[in-house]
Amino acid sequence: MSADPRFAPIDRDTPVGFELAPIFKKAAIQLMGSRLWGRFNPNHWDPVYAAETGLDAPIQTGEMSSAYLAEMCVNHLGAAMFRNARMVCKYVASTRAEEVIVCRGVVSEKTPKGGGYRFKIDIWCENEAGEKKTVGWAEADVGV
Amino acid sequence: MNATDALKPMSPIQVAQTRAFIDGLEQGSQTYWDMVEIGDELSREIELTPELVILYADGVEDYNPWYEGWRMNTWRIPGESPFGGAIVPPLLVSHFVLSVQFDHTKPFAIGSIHTFHDSEILEPIPVGSTVRITTVATDKYEKRGRRYVRHEVTVTDTASGTLYFRETRDILSL
Repeated sequence: MSADPRFAPIDRDTPVGFELAPIFKKAAIQLMGSRLWGRFNPNHWDPVYAAETGLDAPIQTGEMSSAYLAEMCVNHLGAAMFRNARMVCKYVASTRAEEVIVCRGVVSEKTPKGGGYRFKIDIWCENEAGEKKTVGWAEADVGV
Repeated sequence: MNATDALKPMSPIQVAQTRAFIDGLEQGSQTYWDMVEIGDELSREIELTPELVILYADGVEDYNPWYEGWRMNTWRIPGESPFGGAIVPPLLVSHFVLSVQFDHTKPFAIGSIHTFHDSEILEPIPVGSTVRITTVATDKYEKRGRRYVRHEVTVTDTASGTLYFRETRDILSL
């Protein structure tokens, strides 16, 4: 897996404090309003409706930022992110249309478990000004 | 001044079509707070077809090949992942919980906002599986003047009974 630049595995030697490689995404209105994502709720894609509900711009569904963070975690945890894993996210601020989002993560805990470790990773999304939009953490078993 | 076409180019007929679509969504819509009673249980099955998985992943620009049970030119394929064939992204089923906890037989409670999830990804889900998503409303609460509805969620395989996914999630209601 390490030959694929998509992946940078967290393994049993990865230390607390390890920073995951960030990923960038743009809150593109065409994706925010696609049928499978936000089309059912015009807050996610229509400026007029968003303004009527007190928003200064359409906002992305929170689940899109969760999906971004999951992608970053899979980049580092691989198969471990699909079995006995956990991901907790709180949407603390809205992601507005056209914003560029950066997903970041830092290993915060490493607890011995079986023959390996259970890793806890603080994860978050922020805009280019550093304003946090989504905060949370992920856990996964590595080498267990 | 906000305009429907402020963020993407639209002709007058596209703007009119968009306004008509939104007017239709608002017909008969209630707030989510009023739609839900604690203890309400809703459940639906969904087949996680290769095309559905691609639509989900493309919307968030996640091009991991493990999720590809469909590819342009070849179309449906078994795919490859560490678990054998193609699997669904870790939080895909979380996205479809919305279509269960919001009673799909009633107009959608537009204006609601998802604020929190605590998701346990228990087993990989093969692309092509049919799963049953069950939601139970466990709490309605107010915090700093805002109204929230909490649900507990399970996702199981309809054929094998495997419990794939569990989640607690909150929705902020108008």
